[in-house]
Amino acid sequence: MSTQAPKQLGGIEFGLMDPETYRDMSATKVITADTYDDDGYPIDMGLMDPRLGVIDPGLQCRTCGQHSGSCNGHFGHIELAAPVIHVGFTTLIRRLLRSTCRECGRLCLTEDERGEFRDKLTRSEELGDDWSDVMKSAVRQARKAKSCPHCGAEKHDIKHEKPTTYYEVQQVLSGEYSNMIAGAMQGDAVGDEDPDDVDRDPTSPQDLAEQTGIELDRINEIVSGSFRPREDDRKAIERALGIDLTEEDMNKLMASDIRDWFEDIPDSDVETLGLESTVARPEWMVLTVLPVPPVTARPSITLDNGQRSEDDLTHKLVDIIRINQRFMENREAGAPQLIIEDLWELLQYHVTTFVDNEISGTPPARHRSGRPLKTLSQRLKGKEGRFRGSLSGKRVNFSARTVISPDPTLSLNEVGVPERVAREMTQTLNVTARNVADARQYVRNGPEGHPGANYVRRPDGRRLKVTEKNCEELAEKVEAGWEVNRHLIDGDIVIFNRQPSLHRMSIMAHEVVVMPYKTFRLNTTVCAPYNADFDGDEMNMHALQNEEARAEARVLMRVQEQMLSPRFGENIIGAIQDHVTGTYLLTNENPRFTETQALDLLRATSVDTLPEPDGTAEAAEPYWTGRSLFSELLPDDLSLEFGSSAGDTVVIEDGQLVSGTIDEDAVGAFGGEIVDTVTKMYSKTRARVLVNEIASVAVRAIMHFGFSIGIDDESIPPAADESVDEAIAEANSRVEDLIESYRADDLESLPGRTLDETLEMKIMQTLGKARDSAGEIAETHFEDDNPAVVMAESGARGSMLNLTQMAGCVGQQAVRGERINRGYEDRTLSHFAPNDLSAEAHGFVENSYRGGLTPKEFFFHAMGGREGLVDTAVRTSKSGYLQRRLINALSELEAQYDGTVRDTSDTIVQFEFGEDGTSPVKVSSANDGEIDVDKIADRVVEAEFDGDTEKERFLGEREPPTNLSEYAGPGLDKAEGMEVKSDD
Amino acid sequence: MVDVTQHELVPEHRLLGEDEIEEMLTEYDVKRTNLPKIKRTDPATPDDAELGDVVEIVRDSRTTDRAIIYRLVVS
Repeated sequence: MSTQAPKQLGGIEFGLMDPETYRDMSATKVITADTYDDDGYPIDMGLMDPRLGVIDPGLQCRTCGQHSGSCNGHFGHIELAAPVIHVGFTTLIRRLLRSTCRECGRLCLTEDERGEFRDKLTRSEELGDDWSDVMKSAVRQARKAKSCPHCGAEKHDIKHEKPTTYYEVQQVLSGEYSNMIAGAMQGDAVGDEDPDDVDRDPTSPQDLAEQTGIELDRINEIVSGSFRPREDDRKAIERALGIDLTEEDMNKLMASDIRDWFEDIPDSDVETLGLESTVARPEWMVLTVLPVPPVTARPSITLDNGQRSEDDLTHKLVDIIRINQRFMENREAGAPQLIIEDLWELLQYHVTTFVDNEISGTPPARHRSGRPLKTLSQRLKGKEGRFRGSLSGKRVNFSARTVISPDPTLSLNEVGVPERVAREMTQTLNVTARNVADARQYVRNGPEGHPGANYVRRPDGRRLKVTEKNCEELAEKVEAGWEVNRHLIDGDIVIFNRQPSLHRMSIMAHEVVVMPYKTFRLNTTVCAPYNADFDGDEMNMHALQNEEARAEARVLMRVQEQMLSPRFGENIIGAIQDHVTGTYLLTNENPRFTETQALDLLRATSVDTLPEPDGTAEAAEPYWTGRSLFSELLPDDLSLEFGSSAGDTVVIEDGQLVSGTIDEDAVGAFGGEIVDTVTKMYSKTRARVLVNEIASVAVRAIMHFGFSIGIDDESIPPAADESVDEAIAEANSRVEDLIESYRADDLESLPGRTLDETLEMKIMQTLGKARDSAGEIAETHFEDDNPAVVMAESGARGSMLNLTQMAGCVGQQAVRGERINRGYEDRTLSHFAPNDLSAEAHGFVENSYRGGLTPKEFFFHAMGGREGLVDTAVRTSKSGYLQRRLINALSELEAQYDGTVRDTSDTIVQFEFGEDGTSPVKVSSANDGEIDVDKIADRVVEAEFDGDTEKERFLGEREPPTNLSEYAGPGLDKAEGMEVKSDD
Repeated sequence: MVDVTQHELVPEHRLLGEDEIEEMLTEYDVKRTNLPKIKRTDPATPDDAELGDVVEIVRDSRTTDRAIIYRLVVS
């Protein structure tokens, strides 16, 4: 048991570390590059020193005394023989070198300028802007100074050679100075000067001596090259002769120089640049001590053959220690400066790659096998790095993944879970006096029997595994106070998810129904929110592990609570495909059903008595119409009127469908009018019952009528085929006419277009019309009961365009919105003459899919088809990345209790959520946006005077029971029996 | 030069008085620096706006007719 009390984080401060701190926190100094001795024991003061923590089980940590597993490990340190630069701070080092004085270390800004930048810094902190912009402009300003405003020392430019070399650029006397002076005195062009541009009068040594105030003898000595002029003299000569005697000299700054330099920078100047001097002294960016990560951060593994394999970080540390040692030995032996510098650079390289092994301009350090080493920065960076891979995305227990398949008998709130999965995932049952019998039964069933248990936990905290052998015995011992990890059973709540999780409805809570076989089963109406189909899709399930999570999932995440999409404020769950066809067949022509048929249609619903028959047929047999049977599913007081996509007007009066066809616009997912209204006006529970029952009645209905489609359903009579051919032939001849007039230069170009473009447009237009008229001809020959027509009309699947392409004419194939214009020179295929502009040579497909395409047409069709495929592929990847960035940018915004939307720093983004402070799912979706206040008031009053209980509930004095498990009883009984009028 | 503030699509930008600002800040319980920002050089900012001033923008809204937004003038 953990004894640590939870603590709240006040904040996290990032900064640099003082070398003294490194030494203080170090458990040991590391001086040998060896890890283990011959007996396999870690070497003292080696890289695997037991003071740095233990990884081998059984050994004891020499620092904290704990064993592996409980000891987190301790840092050690390496004393570097010479300071090296930390690669992570190279830009900051460059900025500091450029902005401070080499002599006194002070920031090269005047007092006024400092004040200005300090003000800017405070302001940018207040406004939440990026402080580094202020630093950048301060550095830019300080770099401009020619000399230090404090000590007057000259400033030199700093050159940074990536990654870790810095040079001071100084102006020194050119080696060619004597020749240059002599040349200039003769009036010649000197150095880099262009001879054509130079117009210089010869100067005698006497004149020069006079002008510069240097003695004549000295001048002669200078010209002969035996005396190097001092700086003052050099400048005088330069002025007199109008020449430049200097050249750039690169003076390398060693890490130790930089460290000395930075030590002189006063705290106040550091703070002017926006750095916190207590945690970020600039000299700490040059390392003199290297911390050695604990062994636990770089565990070595023992291979099968008994050989030890060390972590990449350990390998790198070995390199560092070896070079460090060689450096010290060489320096003590008084090796030449050149060798010391080489070793210094090597040490710098190893420390650099220890921190980051992907620096451009540096060859990455490699393993013996040639694989680049994975060092500190590589552990953190990127998708599989510590942040994105291990912290934001973690692997979890109690999760399952398998293929999904449909099951129309389930409620949309349910999910079918394979027994194997249910046996693996457990829920913790706290045994009390009231459930001890159940708990014992679970344990008695053991881990193999279905509602069984896998583990029990005694009150003393001891966890016992339930096995086939001990389950009987263990079951007797179970008492109140124990915990039993029982299998998932019907009615448990789990979280269900399909990737990509693009909106919140991609993760919803379902109730478990344990089933045989190996797939997750779901109601087909939840395909829409998950965007799932059953062509091999897999989904994930997560079993919830505490009561709080289960309650939250049930109240907020259950499928019925997600009925309305916040994207468009209408229902996203509703009838799809065959459900839509089913309701269409049931209501379109208002067919009649006998008693047996009517009962069969309604058998899976909560309707258990048929309404009054709608009439009596000749044989004195009563009949019921499809519309009145459908009406049985609707709430009794529902009144609606809207247009259907089948073209008629749907009228519902007091829960009776008076006229109209029920199709996608009425009950479909994505804004079916009836489902949407019921969800908003009644309750989520009522809507769930409605959708479940519509789906089951629709499936019964489509089975009653029978629904299939075959190739003959797309055929039209030969006479119609002929008139289609005629229409196309006519279009072809019109195209020929156009081409002819184009060739004869008779074609008039459209405004803003070239002649060629005009021709192309007119041809496209003509051929487009041809396809439409072919389609119209084909359409007239389809009966209304043609299955393809039924699907298109009802909105279940497909469109009339698809149908005319199958029966009439496929039409023009296009790539990039133009007729097909690629392939060979001046022609699309070698089957056509060059420059053939005709319809067939540029991808017009005359035939229908049913009639079959010619090889040439097939080829063009494939070209057009590929563009579609490429487009979707590109679109999904592009939009996926876009969505990721958008979500990352918006993820910290939160609607507050005062109605504002703020980010984590409390900056206001919107003063009122969405300008109106309303949730999109609570808004009426009526087109005119009008809300029938009277109706709502009536309903409210009615509910209020219905009875005392109702009144109390209305006034909020008694809470209606909400979100009860639907498993506890049949759907509608539950919804009405509990008198839940509105639970949202 | 076109004066964009007179354009029908540019909503009214009004400078708030110091007491109005205080009132708004207490209403929303917000620090001045946590308001949305507007640049002083923005063509829609009133000409006499100074750094640290707050402008009130009254916009037409599709859902609420009128939406009021406050912005802090920054450089």
